[in-house]
Amino acid sequence: MQNNVRCEEVKNVAAKRWRKAVLLPRILGCLGLSAALVWAGGVRIPNLELHDSRLDNGLRVILVPDHSAPVYSINVAYNVGSRNEHPGRTGFAHLFEHMMFEGSENVGKGEQFSLVMNNGGGMNGTTNEDRTVYFEELPKNQLDLGLFLESDRMRALNITQANFENQRKTVQEERRQSYDNQPYAHAELDLDNLSYDNFAYKHSTIGSMADLDAATLQDVTDFFHTYYAPNNAVLTLVGDFDPDEALAKVKKYFGPIPSQPAPPKVDLTEDLHYGERRETISDPLARLPQINIAYHIPPGNTPDNYAAQELAVILGQGQSSRFYQHLVKDKQLASDVSAFADARIGPSLLYLSANPAPGVKVEDLEKGMEEEIAAVVKDGVTPDELAKAKTQLLRRFIEQRRSSLRTAILIGQYTVYFNDPNLINTVQDKQEAVTLEQANAAAKKYLVRDQRTLITTLPASPDATRPAKPAH
Amino acid sequence: MKTLGLSSKLIWQPALAALVLAALSAPIAPTARAQEKSMPLSQVQRLNRAPVNKEVLRVQLPRPTVVMLKNGLTLLLLENHKLPTVAFSLWIRPGQLADPIDLPGLASFAAGMLREGTERRTSAQIATETDSLGATLSATAVFGSSYLSVDASGWISDAWQILDLLSDVVLHPSFPSSELAQYKQREQASLEQRLSNPGFLARQAFRRVLYGDAPLSVTSPTKESIEKVTADDLKKFHDEHFRPGNAILGVTGDFKTSDMQALVEKYFGGWTGAAEPPAKLPASATPRPAQITLVDRPSSVQTFIIGGNRSIRRTDPDFYALTVMNQVLGGGPQSRLFLDLREEHSYTYGAYSRFNSEIYPGDWAASAAVRTPVTDGSMTQFLYELKRINHELVPQGELDESRRAIIAGFALSLEQPAQVLASWLTVQHFGLPADYWNTYPDHIAAIDAVAVQAAAKKFIDLDHLQWICVGDRKQIQDVLAKYGQVAVVDVNGKNEN
Repeated sequence: MQNNVRCEEVKNVAAKRWRKAVLLPRILGCLGLSAALVWAGGVRIPNLELHDSRLDNGLRVILVPDHSAPVYSINVAYNVGSRNEHPGRTGFAHLFEHMMFEGSENVGKGEQFSLVMNNGGGMNGTTNEDRTVYFEELPKNQLDLGLFLESDRMRALNITQANFENQRKTVQEERRQSYDNQPYAHAELDLDNLSYDNFAYKHSTIGSMADLDAATLQDVTDFFHTYYAPNNAVLTLVGDFDPDEALAKVKKYFGPIPSQPAPPKVDLTEDLHYGERRETISDPLARLPQINIAYHIPPGNTPDNYAAQELAVILGQGQSSRFYQHLVKDKQLASDVSAFADARIGPSLLYLSANPAPGVKVEDLEKGMEEEIAAVVKDGVTPDELAKAKTQLLRRFIEQRRSSLRTAILIGQYTVYFNDPNLINTVQDKQEAVTLEQANAAAKKYLVRDQRTLITTLPASPDATRPAKPAH
Repeated sequence: MKTLGLSSKLIWQPALAALVLAALSAPIAPTARAQEKSMPLSQVQRLNRAPVNKEVLRVQLPRPTVVMLKNGLTLLLLENHKLPTVAFSLWIRPGQLADPIDLPGLASFAAGMLREGTERRTSAQIATETDSLGATLSATAVFGSSYLSVDASGWISDAWQILDLLSDVVLHPSFPSSELAQYKQREQASLEQRLSNPGFLARQAFRRVLYGDAPLSVTSPTKESIEKVTADDLKKFHDEHFRPGNAILGVTGDFKTSDMQALVEKYFGGWTGAAEPPAKLPASATPRPAQITLVDRPSSVQTFIIGGNRSIRRTDPDFYALTVMNQVLGGGPQSRLFLDLREEHSYTYGAYSRFNSEIYPGDWAASAAVRTPVTDGSMTQFLYELKRINHELVPQGELDESRRAIIAGFALSLEQPAQVLASWLTVQHFGLPADYWNTYPDHIAAIDAVAVQAAAKKFIDLDHLQWICVGDRKQIQDVLAKYGQVAVVDVNGKNEN
């Protein structure tokens, strides 16, 4: 590739600054470990300094000073998700999350939103299979506000029938908006439902309408006492504060909250599957067919899951991916493709998806996807592809590091999932460590037709009555 | 493509409103006073026991260095040393507003084809190079926007390579016929997919009733325009509009300003072409009388409702009052529409309002996706809130809070240099004063209840309010007739009577 600029000239743009940065990490310690730099593909990013402690009531507290902007983010991650739900109560963890915004002993209904937003902040909460997180980002002079709000609702949630009815309906609207009124939603829900036999991950986080209808106020109270305890939570603060001052405030607000008995553990074991699982869905909201495939991969933060992350990039992320170049461009079988590898506490999935190009039969698209996967299994991926995947993953990770909020959420997640907040500093090393041999062995081991799920969605004719909603 | 995987449910989704109606972001900005008891809005309770710091952290947005290169390209350079990255954002006038009437989407085709080949790179080479650098490279022409943008980002140590790629696709795209044929196939598929999206269908109908004629009424290419467009059309568009005189390049990242300026000059200095005169837009059609357009989407379990009018130009001094008014009405989960339609009535996952503003008067709208059986009740509540802000002065406490939300939010934007850069690109593009963001908080603070009501009366024009309801005609047509004249169209906009 030609270029008119000599490399020496442009090195000046970057190099001088980074000689400075290399010195900085000497000052930073991290739990007694030597201050290492995250290294990948020639780019070095300093480690974050984590102050990791635990209150007497069991609350894990992780403080990460960052003075680059006059803001801070607070994230409370509770060790509960839809995996903890029982049959008949799907969707409950998420419904409960909504209740956490309805007021607590010292915060009225709707007041949470106004206190944060009207003081220049942002906030949200989110539930998935494995954890429920609540987070705010605020200007740095509102540290007490964030700690107060999170501690008040951890300690004394205000649970009323009226609020509960209101949020039950809200969640049902969320389900309609995100799923029932969208194309391909049926397939998305069925993909996990067919792929897992263990109830924990088999059912959907959003839950069924019937179960949402059946939930009771007593369920809410019980759930709160069981799971919303300091010993079942991780508090992460990232931003512009002094760690000693912040810790003192954390103790003031969260210290008095009593611990609860440890909640029951969930068995996430998934037995081996034999035989491909297939389904064809007739979808009145879909205008194009779609194929969705899921392969079983190991839990997150395992060597083979890191390998699967890179396989997903190589297969279907970015325009240089195999699916894009071969299925969309060369063979023109697909109009759109995607790939994604989960990293859950338990057994995870690698998802692949494609829509056929105009005029292409969905069977031919399936055959094309099959050929691409078979090629990776048989001949493996190339060293260049692997290096490219690592670089792409690192870039995405680094962009998250820019945000105190994304960083706080990641740290909370790493702690709840893997009991390792320091993953924020080591995850890229683990990603880098995947070797070619390992990636290719993982492809052979996991991209196995006999243990996968494949769902085909076909547009239903406009006059067809809508098929029964998935029971999950 | 819908991302599968971890199903994370958010408590509220502010992005929905912005996605539906391509809002220009009014960055988030005064002094807190003791919170008075606001007039209670239905079930919202203010206990006022939380420890709030009354002081608003006043911050100044960092200002870029602004340079006009000899060839007319305006360059904005904003240093940020948090991470070893760099991001480029190139805005090129006039964007989709220059689409010929018989070729809607031409700008978006040109943008979409930039990566599909240059004089010295094939599409596959561009893809491999970009991904190997861990870089991003994309071009978009948003419908209704007076510019298209080409964006690239990556490691600062790769800055020269990224610039090489960026300048190559901008200056020397080759629009290969074979690639164009494939691009058309993908565009036809995208068009088909869009027609199942309630938000898109609403926006399409909304822009049509507000603006009538192209280009302002256009939100998508058509099957015909996708089929028709040739490589020559693209080359002509490129020759006519891709000029440094039409362009602003913003760069933010871990560099020394003088070094990055020199680098940009190396790669973009050879670009030639004087600025074009501003795009000639059709005179605004007279606003139509209030009407409801029902877009029939069979099998819908929700009705997606938009209600709105035209708004303002970006340079209009009413921008501040409209911003505050919008914040009160529907700027977030603390605002009236959300508290009414969701927290009180349980009709929806979220109800919001937003507006955009352009070189022409943009649009303003309130919106929500509500379950079909409460379409009636939702329309009633929307009208109640629109009338309330029109007829009643906003209580002082609520006004203080709304202004504070805007002003105090500046601190958070400091974490997002790309967002800060976009704020300054906006100033440059629309010809706003150079110190616009420095005076912005004071302008917001000066908006009182009288000004908010004046903005409501001016822009919430109930006599010409256009409602769009995307849903199952069989279930909602009769109900909607209570609220005005109902015109029924299909997903392609054809009358369905």
